[in-house]
This record gives sequence, C-alpha cells and structure tokens, in this order.
Amino acid sequence: MSLAAEAFMSQMAAAEPWPENATLYQPLKEDQILLSDCASSLAVQAYLRMCGLPVQVFCRANAEYMSPSGKIPFIHVGNQVVSELGPIVQFTKAKGHSLSDGLDDVQRAEMKAYMELVNNMLLTAELYIQWCDDSTATEISRPRYSSPYSWPLNKILAYQKQWEVRRKMNAIGWGGKTLEQVYEDVSQCCQALSQRLGTQSYFFNKQPTELDALVFGHLFTILTTRLTSTELAERVKSYSNLLSFCRRVEQTYFEDKSS
Amino acid sequence: MAAPDELFCWEGDWGLPSISTDCLVVLAYAQFAGAPLKLRKISNPWRSPSGSLPALRTNQKETLSRPSDIIIHLRKQKFNADYDLSAKEGADSLAFISLMEEKLMPALIYAFWIEPKNYVDVTRRWYAEHMPFPLNFFLPGRMQRQQLEKLRLLRGDERLEAGEELEKELYRDAAECMNLLSQRLGSHKFFFGDSPSSLDAYVFGHLAPILKCKLPNGKLQQHLKTLDNLTNFCTNILQLYFPKDGRGEAHNSPRQKPPRRRKQFLSALVALGAMLSYALLTGMVSIQHAHHEALEEPPDLQDIGSHHDHEDEGDG
Repeated sequence: MSLAAEAFMSQMAAAEPWPENATLYQPLKEDQILLSDCASSLAVQAYLRMCGLPVQVFCRANAEYMSPSGKIPFIHVGNQVVSELGPIVQFTKAKGHSLSDGLDDVQRAEMKAYMELVNNMLLTAELYIQWCDDSTATEISRPRYSSPYSWPLNKILAYQKQWEVRRKMNAIGWGGKTLEQVYEDVSQCCQALSQRLGTQSYFFNKQPTELDALVFGHLFTILTTRLTSTELAERVKSYSNLLSFCRRVEQTYFEDKSS
Repeated sequence: MAAPDELFCWEGDWGLPSISTDCLVVLAYAQFAGAPLKLRKISNPWRSPSGSLPALRTNQKETLSRPSDIIIHLRKQKFNADYDLSAKEGADSLAFISLMEEKLMPALIYAFWIEPKNYVDVTRRWYAEHMPFPLNFFLPGRMQRQQLEKLRLLRGDERLEAGEELEKELYRDAAECMNLLSQRLGSHKFFFGDSPSSLDAYVFGHLAPILKCKLPNGKLQQHLKTLDNLTNFCTNILQLYFPKDGRGEAHNSPRQKPPRRRKQFLSALVALGAMLSYALLTGMVSIQHAHHEALEEPPDLQDIGSHHDHEDEGDG
C-alpha cells in the first residue's frame, strides 16, 4: 500500500472503534482453499482473536480477486478493506489494539525478524510444494484452485497461477531446489522457531504477539492438511514444543466456539 | 588436502573486494572461516561455469551458485564460522538473514538497477566499462530487465515501474531494517561475540555496497551513515579481512586507460573498414567503369573528332 494511502487509512481507522459486523473473506474452505492461503487466513483469525476483536468468516470463490492486493485473506471493517497480516496489524494498531506494545526495542526487532523468517521460508516452502512439485500440483493444487470455474476457464486460471508461482520461485533462487532441499529448509525454520520458543508458553513469554499468531497459522495448517505425502507434517511434528504450542493456542482461542 | 575450490566472482571497485552483494557474502564468509579459495575475479559472467556470478567450482567439478549453498558446502568441508554459536544464536541468524532478504534486498535492487539516474550514471556505466566487447552492449540492459522482473515478482505487482512512491516505500522498509540491525548489533564488534559468523557476512554483503558506492540518489547511504555502529562494522571488516582491496580504490582508474585506447582504435578501424567496403560495393564499380571508359575514351574522342570534322565539313 502506498504511503499516502496508508496515512489516510490510519486516520480513518483511528476515527471509529471496531464494529460488530467486521468480516474476513477467504476462498471456499472445503473445495477451493490451498495450504498457503489457509495458513495466512488462520494466522489473521488467530491474531484478531488474540486481540479480542470479533470477526465473521465468509467464504467466497472470488476472494482472491476481491482483495485489494490480490492476497488472501482480507478483512472488511466499516468502510475499509485491508489485506494481509502486516497491514491488518497496523490497521488494528491505529484503532488502539496492539499485542506488541509491551516489547522493548530488541524484542521488537527479533519479532519482526522471526516473522520475516516465517514468510521467507515457511510460506515460500508451502508455495513451492503446492505449485512446483508436479504430483501435488496435478492432484491437489490445480483441481482445488480451479474448482469453482467451468471448462476452459479452470484450466487457464490454474496453469496461469502455476506459471506465476514458478516464475517467482526462479526469481528468488528456489527454482533449482529439489523437494528434499525444501523439506530441509522447513526443518531448519522449525528448528529455529523451536529454539526461540524454548519452554515458554508464547514466543515473548506470557503474552501472545502477532508472531505467535503467524506461527500458529502456518504450523496448524501444515499439521492438519492432507497432502500427497506426509513428509511436511512429519518434519513439523518432530519438534514437540511447537506441537504443544499449537495445541495451546487452539485450546485458548479457538475452542470456545464449541463450548 | 585436495586442490582448493575455485570461486568466480565479480571484480571489485570503490574499495570493495567485489561489487555484488552475493559475491561479498561468500568472500566475507570464506575469510571468516579461513577457507582457502582460488579467487577468479572476472567481469564476464559468461565465463563462469554456471553463467552467473558468484559460482563455486568444487573439486568434484560440481558448480554451486546460491550463497547459502556455497556456505553449506564450506561448512561441510569443516570451514565453519558458526561453530561457536549457540542454538538460539543460530536461530536468530536465520531470522535476521530472512529480514534482510525481505526488506533490504528489494531496496538494493531498486537503488542500483531501477532508479533511473543511478542506473544510467553508475551501474550501467560500470558494467559497460568493465565487460568485454561485445557483451558490454547488451548484457547490462539484459541484467537490468532481469532485476526489474525479480523486483516485480518479489512485490507481486506485474506493472511495477520506477517511481517516487515505490522508492519511498522500499527505502522506508530498508531504513527500518537497518535500524533493527543497528539495535541488534548495539555496541558489539560483531553480531555474536568477538568472532564473525555467517550473519556478519550477510550484513556486510548487503551494507558494504551501500556504504562505499557513490550514487547520485544516495538516500540509503545517507541513512546508513547516521547509524555509526553499522558504518564502523563495515569499515572494520574491510580493514581486518580485505586490506588490499581497500587500498585498491585509487589504482583502478589508471588501469582503465589502456583498454579504452585499444577500444577506440578498434572502433576507428571498424568504422574505416565499413566505409571502405561501402565505397567498394558502390563506388568501386563506378571506378571500374571509369577505367573502361578511360581506356575507350581516346578512341571515341578521335571518332567524335572525325565525325565533327565530317559534320563540320558537311555543314560548312
């Protein structure tokens, strides 16, 4: 988002409190949504729940096209539309809700660095596995991505998306990686996160921050999504403190729905 | 031990061992870990085994291109600058390297390749002057298109163009990243303890070109210079690990003159040859006709002369 638009949005955001009818849009849960989008959406939902801000989740087939930046998820609050976790965190901050106020400068630097680690390694690995691994792309990603559309649009859109993601992988140097190397990178990333978490409840001790929401979103989705092979989930499962972290966040923030 | 691995990297300038970030990262890590590498500083990427620089050719004739792959290879050969790091410090390294790649690298690409004034005055000129003929005509342009495409894919915006808004956004992210790095470094000599690690190599590789290269639009450099600890960090590494290159700054200019003279002479020769061949193809033909006409003319003249006489006689 451009700077002028951001400043304008902050001003508008600060003017009104969080409404009751805030909505979050994502692709169709059962048939369409893919691993990476589901992870990002879950991260935003977790963050909003941690802030105590109510939001309704709507599933729309054209969510990706409705989003202002083309990325999932996006929230519709009042008369403003904001997409992706970073801008949403700033948006809620402008409204006076923030999870990272209690951190000092060094901790905030670490939090931002670890969020970039998750974006750089986990999210890129998810995209790679979805679109650059032929078996996953053919059996899962392309059919799911194009399920709301009829022939020939479904073929065109699916291949277009695959081609776009492959170009991006080549540009950032992941094009030459093998699947095994990608799994290694995921292990490395999980190891780093596990080291940072240690025996604490959350990454910065007692209170969850946006980093916790982001990590939860990605790890929980990886653990609960069925892919062609279980290698990815196995890699994450080998870090027990990350597993208990996911369970803890799920029980604290997501289970009150059923109870 | 077997023969050392060969590292192909870009030439250096402005007091740096190499002008490319990735090459600097690999060079710095090799120095930190004490890895013996055979350095080949070239300015022609087509002569590298992988077609791009940096490239490491190992003993087993394998070619590695990504800095992370090269560092992993060196580590396997027991040249490990991260040996003393605790597990948490290793995790922090990974996190801060990701931070730099997401926030600082796009700004670097913009500052060197996309910003019009910087690209034309500094980057394109440097590559055109240092690359051999005839690559210097088309390769800088191709590299610029590749970098623009990379920035477009990184930002997820296919219609990205150079502009003030984009510049402000990228530089703001880069300034924030530099501030975060400065906060993490504090007053220490290196990021983790007294000996440098791979994170120091990455930070050096990203910040040294900003610090040393004089760009017309130097907002990144201005911001970096306000962060004293990062500036000292870079100059420290240059003095300790690359002393020869730091002094090489003044030596580069005289070296440029002889190749330039030779190129001027070659271009003049080519131009002369082109003109001569054009003259041959069009003019020479007429020259030959003049030759034949010249040979025939005297007889003609005589004939005409006799005709004239006849006519004159006829008329008169």
